[in-house]
Amino acid sequence: MSKPHYDRDHHVKKATGIGDPQCFKGEAGAPKFKVGDKVKIKNLPDIFYTRCQMYTRGAPAVVAALVYESPAAEDEAWDNTESPEWFYSLIFRQKDLWPEYPAAYESDTLETELSERWLESA
Amino acid sequence: MAKKDGDHRHEPAPMVDEVSEFEILEVAVRELAIEKGLFSAEDHRRWTEYVHTLGPLPAARLVAKAWLDPEFKKLAVEDGVKASLEVGVDWVKDMPTQFGTPSDYCNLRVLEDTPTLKHVVVCTLCSCYPRPILGQSPEWYRTPNYRRRLVRYPRQVLTEFGLILPSDVEVRVEDSNQKSRFIVLPVRPEGTEGWSEDQLTEIVTRDCLIGVAMPTPGVTANVKLPVHPAVNPVPHH
Repeated sequence: MSKPHYDRDHHVKKATGIGDPQCFKGEAGAPKFKVGDKVKIKNLPDIFYTRCQMYTRGAPAVVAALVYESPAAEDEAWDNTESPEWFYSLIFRQKDLWPEYPAAYESDTLETELSERWLESA
Repeated sequence: MAKKDGDHRHEPAPMVDEVSEFEILEVAVRELAIEKGLFSAEDHRRWTEYVHTLGPLPAARLVAKAWLDPEFKKLAVEDGVKASLEVGVDWVKDMPTQFGTPSDYCNLRVLEDTPTLKHVVVCTLCSCYPRPILGQSPEWYRTPNYRRRLVRYPRQVLTEFGLILPSDVEVRVEDSNQKSRFIVLPVRPEGTEGWSEDQLTEIVTRDCLIGVAMPTPGVTANVKLPVHPAVNPVPHH
C-alpha cells in the first residue's frame, strides 16, 4: 500500500507574491449586482460551514462596493477553489436587523461582506 | 489562599490564572500537526515570535499621514494595501509566509470617519483582525461578549469604553467576516493644529484604530477596562 498523496501546496503556489484574494482576480466572471443595488440575503442551508451570519438572513441591504473575487468561504473550507464568486460589501440598517433597535438611533448601520450566492434582488 | 502558621514553603504563583478550553484545543492541534510533519516546532516558534514583533504603530502613522496629506488619505481609502507600503507594511510579501499575512488575506480597507459617521470594527464569527498593521488583537476583542453585543447594542458597548455619541452621528458597525481587514481613520481632533506627524501618531491608539475610542490630545494610552477574576482558576497547589 502506497501512502496517499495530498496536494497541500496548490494555494501557496498560486498566491505567493500575489496575495489572497488578489490571486483569484478575473475568475468570477461578470458580477450580477452593482453598487447601489438593493438586495436581500438568502437563507441557504449551511450544515457544515458558513460565514454568513444568521442575523443577516432575510434582511434587506444595499450594495456599497464590489470588493474582490474569491471562492466562497463555504467552498474554500473544503479546499474547493473551482468557482470563485464576486464578494460585495453590504450596508444594512440596524433597525432592519434588530426589531428592538431604538428609534432614536435609526440612522445607525452595519456593514459586512457576502459572496454572490447569498444575494437576491429586492 | 490562607496559609497555616509555620508553613514556610515557597510556592510559586501559577503562570496563568486560567487556561481556556480553546487554549487546550490549540495545543492539541499544534502537537498533532507537528507529529504529522505539517510544520516543525521550530517553524511554530519562529512564527509566534514574528507575530509578537508586530504592533499598532504602522497603522497609527498611516492615520497621521492621512490627516496631513489629502492625497495620501485618498490613496489610503481607495487602496489600503498600497498605502500600507508607505508605513513599511507589505501585506503581500512580508515575512513569514511571503504570500499573505498571519491572517492569510491581504485586503485592507481604511474606514474613513466623518463628523456624522463613526465606524467600529468587530468580527462576530471569530476574531479577524488586521494583524500585519495592528499587531495582536486585545483580549477583549476576541471575547464572545464583545463580538455578539457590539453588532446588536453598539452604542451601549461604546459607552462602556467611555465613548458616548449623539444621535445625529451614524454608528456603522463593520462586521469583518470574510477576506477584508479593517482599520478606522478617525476625524482629526481639535487642538492638534500645527502638530507634526510624530505628535499625531502618538494620539492614534490601538483603540482609536479599532473604533472604540476617539483620538484626544494628551491621551496616548488605550482605554482601561476592568480585570475580572478567572472563572475557572488554575489550582495553586
